[in-house]
This record gives sequence, structure tokens and C-alpha cells, in this order.
Amino acid sequence: MAGFAAVLRKDLRLEMRGGESLVALVALSLLVLVVMVFALDPAGGVRDAATAAGALWVALIFAGVIGSSRVLLAERDNGCLRALILSPLDRGALYWAKLTAAFIFMAIAEAAAIVLMVLFFNLDFDWRLMRMAPVIALGALGFAALSTLLAAITGRVRAGDMLLPLLAVPLFVPALIAGAKASGAALGGAPFAAIAQWLKILVAFDVLFVNAGWLLFEYVIGEE
Amino acid sequence: MTAAAPIAARGLCKSFGAAPVLRGVDLTVAAGSAALIIGRNGAGKSTLLRILAGLWSPDDGAALLFGEPSAALAPAGRRRVGLVTHQSFLYPNLTARENLEFFCALYGVAGASKQIARWLERVGLATAADDRVRGFSRGMEQRLTLARALIHRPAALLMDEPLAALDAEGVAMAAALIDEALAGGCAIVLTAHQPLAIAKLEFALYEIVRGRLVVRPAEGGAEPRGAIDPRQPAA
Amino acid sequence: MNKTANRWLGGLTGILMAAAIYMTFVYVPTEADQGIVQRIFYFHVPCAWVAFGAFGLVAIAGIFYLWLGQPVWDDLGYAAAEIGMVFCTLVLVTGSIWAKPIWGAWWTWDSRLTTTLILWLLYGGYLMLRAMADDTPQVARFAAVIGIVAAADVPVVIVSVRLWRTIHPAVLVTRQGGHGLEDPRMVATLLVALAAFTALFIWLLMLRFATLRMRARLGAIARGLNLAQAAAGDL
Repeated sequence: MAGFAAVLRKDLRLEMRGGESLVALVALSLLVLVVMVFALDPAGGVRDAATAAGALWVALIFAGVIGSSRVLLAERDNGCLRALILSPLDRGALYWAKLTAAFIFMAIAEAAAIVLMVLFFNLDFDWRLMRMAPVIALGALGFAALSTLLAAITGRVRAGDMLLPLLAVPLFVPALIAGAKASGAALGGAPFAAIAQWLKILVAFDVLFVNAGWLLFEYVIGEE
Repeated sequence: MTAAAPIAARGLCKSFGAAPVLRGVDLTVAAGSAALIIGRNGAGKSTLLRILAGLWSPDDGAALLFGEPSAALAPAGRRRVGLVTHQSFLYPNLTARENLEFFCALYGVAGASKQIARWLERVGLATAADDRVRGFSRGMEQRLTLARALIHRPAALLMDEPLAALDAEGVAMAAALIDEALAGGCAIVLTAHQPLAIAKLEFALYEIVRGRLVVRPAEGGAEPRGAIDPRQPAA
Repeated sequence: MNKTANRWLGGLTGILMAAAIYMTFVYVPTEADQGIVQRIFYFHVPCAWVAFGAFGLVAIAGIFYLWLGQPVWDDLGYAAAEIGMVFCTLVLVTGSIWAKPIWGAWWTWDSRLTTTLILWLLYGGYLMLRAMADDTPQVARFAAVIGIVAAADVPVVIVSVRLWRTIHPAVLVTRQGGHGLEDPRMVATLLVALAAFTALFIWLLMLRFATLRMRARLGAIARGLNLAQAAAGDL
């Protein structure tokens, strides 16, 4: 537990100090939403909840691929990952710390993206956003779990940065389908029953990948 | 302390591709003694140290720390190992003090803030304690690396060229630190390009020649201690 | 691989495949609704069966590799992934050829097509990792983890995509007046084709597995030769 807290505190402190990845994440979300508006051209005044939700999930994937893996990649400087591997720190504690940090960064980036989405797609700040928030949070958690495990692999392979999206995005497809559908429904004001089935898939995906990451992390983080 | 030597290698072999780097290295370093390993560039000094530390797995043979395979060392064992490599293991965006704080937290060092102040003083970084490591010179980084490797009072110390980039004063400081660790019962393996001209310290001197460890009688130095296998004397 | 086993398995595959081709093109009656195109079904389904089986084998080999650490499991997983990828590609191609006249489009986002495409992408990533990374135990562990995670993802993919949409004919689950295989000759042809493709898969797997084992042995021999050469240099 002490190790978990130490690593998480160190990661948050590094992020507060440099702030590069968080700023980059939010900027990227902004950029993706702008690009989506240009590409899809939602006619002025038409409030297309499904399109807005889709754009948000594209932003989430970009933020996840480029941003959340940075939490582990930051350890590449000066061989710090090796120091962590050799320290008494429990591998499980390292996984949970990295997952928590990745989730926090993604959640912040997504919160910013939701605000931008409301502005760009001419939606309202109302209770529907509150309904969508847990959907986005579940998606961010799933991607954080996925990228924490995968970044431990791609961060230590030649040209691995290119490999990360190739591995992560196909794995994320079920959460993407469920998340985009559920967010669209929630934004459109559909009753809870309509998004319940999608929420179930999201929860199943998160449970699966958080635990798979936890079980398999020690195999990818071990000696070279 | 149990009977097992803090640092030991048994018939270590390692090849990169088909090229053998180490072929049957045996080494035992008892508590309170030091082994200095020299060899030309690419002889396999760093490879040996990484395998001893448990970062790489050997093709054959065993690397042991406290009698346990290095790569499978339990957390209690890892807490007693210190390591200096070519990589500093320091976070550039943290200050010197914050870096040490983080390592103290990982290693569960008691009375961390006092220890950190003391070690920063010892390695001559007291005035730079709250500067980010990013701005450090190579020599300052090496000083902090030494503090990081020693602050948890390891019982086994692996140091890959610990004196690299240090000035004369730094070398004297490092020698004093190593001497103190030895006196405290630490087992140490160091590497260097050539025999170190540090007056006070006593090392068992070895050289890696074509992937094997051979004993070198140190000029005016002590006889090698510990069980070694000098099958092939140096040419 | 044993030469005799190779010959027998190759012969068996050849006979079964010839029978499957004969039955598909000559023996089996043309399906009333879809016409001649439907015959591709007798290749399409066995390919899907082999691809799914191969990917399942990748995950099983991955679990055994992480558990036991024996390189044979790594080689088995690699061979299965490569062959599974070939058959998965064939599933997509034959499906497309069938879909154009029947559905009027090369591609539709039907649930089974989508699932197969995602499988193809997943194991494409797996093979990219293997192609780009070196052949080390570490990368073998990475590949095993990816293989396991990909297989674990498949049920979630299937459920989510099915909820998303489906227009694929449910061939094997007969509905009233649906697309079931009415004629017993159709069932017989499908079973023979399944046997032929299964035999082909096992044969290819054994050949590829034997090649990978041979490569590992060659590496070991090269290392041994270099070690012996170096040892001779000691004298």
C-alpha cells in the first residue's frame, strides 16, 4: 500500500510539474472534436446527440492511445522502470498505481472533452450530461487498464509506440460500441432501461481488463 | 546473516544472438568484501552486473543474491540490494530531494527526511537539493545516483563504473562511501576499465577475458577472498 | 517432425481435400434460393472453424508458456497464430465473394463479419509484435499475454457486436423455413469439408511448428559452436 501511494504521488507530482501530457491530452481532445465537426458538418441548430457522442468517443480513443500510456512511458527516462522492477515494490502495487494515474488523466481529459462537445455540437448543460458521465468514466477506466498493460509491452519493444494503437484499438472495440451507443442514448434523453444493456457490456469489459491486467502485469514487467 | 554469500555467480553464460559474452563466470563475494572487475569495453562487465542484479536472465548458470536467484528475489531481499548502473534511475523532472524521497518510500527507509538531508550533504549536493535533476551535470547526477544506491543501507551493492564522470573530490567522496559500506558488512561488486588507484580500499581484482573471469593479483593489494575458480590465469 | 507422420498426415489431407472439392462442386445439390454461389459456404465455414480453433490454441499455448516457461509453447502459439491469420483472411475473402451477389455488397457491418474483422485486426497486431520485436524470452512472454488478452476479448466482442446489429444467415441454427441445410447431402459435404480443413490445419501447424523448433535448435547449435570456438581459444 505504501508503494502504491508513493508511485501514484510521484506520478501526479510529475504531471503537475511538467503538465505536458495533460495539456496535450486536452488539446488533442479539442482538436479531434473540431476535426469531427468539420468532417461531419452537423447543420447549425440540429442537435444530433448520437453524432456528438460518437465524436466524444473518437476523442477518448485518441486521448487514450496517445496520453494514458505516457504514465508508464515516463518511466523509460534514465531506466527508471528498471529501478522500479528491482525495488521491493510489489508488481501488483505498481499496476494499480499506474492504472489509477492513467485513469485520473483520462478522466480529466474526458471532462474537458465533454464541455467542448456541448459547445461545439450546440447541446445543453443539463441532467443528460450527468447520465452520460458514468458511461464515459467506465470507458476511460477500460482504456486505462488496457493501455497500462499494453504500454508495459510496447514501451519495451522497438517501434512499440506504433504498435500500441494497433493492439489497443481492436481490443477496445466492444467498449467503444457499447460506450458510443450508451452515450448517444443518454444524451438523447432515453430512459435508463435503454442504456442498461450497454452499461452491462462496459462493466464486463472493465472487470475483464482490469483483472487481466492485474494478473498478467507481472509477466510483462519482469526481467528482460 | 545466513551462510549464503550476499553476491554469487555459478557458471553464468550469456550470449547475444550467437555471440557469447559470458561463458561460465563463477564469483562469490562475502559480506564485508569487495570484488573489482575490470575489462576492456564490451568485455561483458555491464552484462555481468545486470545479470547479478536480476535485470537479465542468464542463458545458463545462476546469479544469486543472498542465496536466491536474482530475478526471483523476494521483496525482503530486494530491499537489501543497491545498484549503480550507466542509467541513473533518476526522474529528471523531480528535484534531488524528491528523487531520494521516492526511493526511500519504495525501500521503506525509516526517518527518511533526516537520512535524505544527511546523504545530500555527504555527496556534496546540499545546495542543489531542491533543484531539478534535469539541470544537473553528469557528475552531479552520478553523486545523486550514489546516494540513491546507498541510502537504504544495502547488504549487497552492485556498481557499474561508480566513479565515472566524478572529479577528484568526487572520487575521494565515493571511495569513502564505499569504504564505509564495506566496514558496515556490505558485499560489493564494482566494475572499471582499469584497476582503481584508490589507496585505502582493498579489492579482490578480476578481469573479464574472452567471457571468463580471471584473477589478477592486485599490486600491493589483498589476496582475493571468497571461493573463486581461477581455471585460466591471465595471459 | 517425424517424417512418417508428415507423410501420412499430408496424404490424409490430400485425400480429404480432394473429396471435399468433389463434393462441393459435383455431388452436393445447388441451393434453391441462393444458387451456385452458396457452394462457397462449404469452404467458408471450415475456414472460420479453423481460424477460431487456431486462435483458441494461441491463447492456450500462451497460458502454458507463462505457466511453464518452455519455449515449445511459444513456438506452438506463434505457428497457430500465423496459420489462424491465413484462414481468417480466407474467411473474410470467401464471405465477401458470397455477400456481393446475395446481399448486394462486398461488405456489410453484420455481426459475424464484424467479429471476424476484429479478430483479424487483433491477431494482426499479435503478428506485428512478433515481426517487429526480437526473438527473446521477454517478447515471447509479451506475445503470450497478447494472445490471452485477445482471446478473453472475443466473447465481449461477440456480445457487443451482436447487440449492435446482425443480418448474417443463421445457418447452423435451423429456423422454421430458414436457411438450414435441408438436404442430407449438404450436411455430408459440410462434414467432409470440415474434416479436410481440420486435417490441413493440423498438417500445416505441425510443419510450421517443426520449422520453428528447428530454428531454435539451430540457434542453440550456433551458440554452442561459438562457445566451443572460444573455449579452444583459451588453450
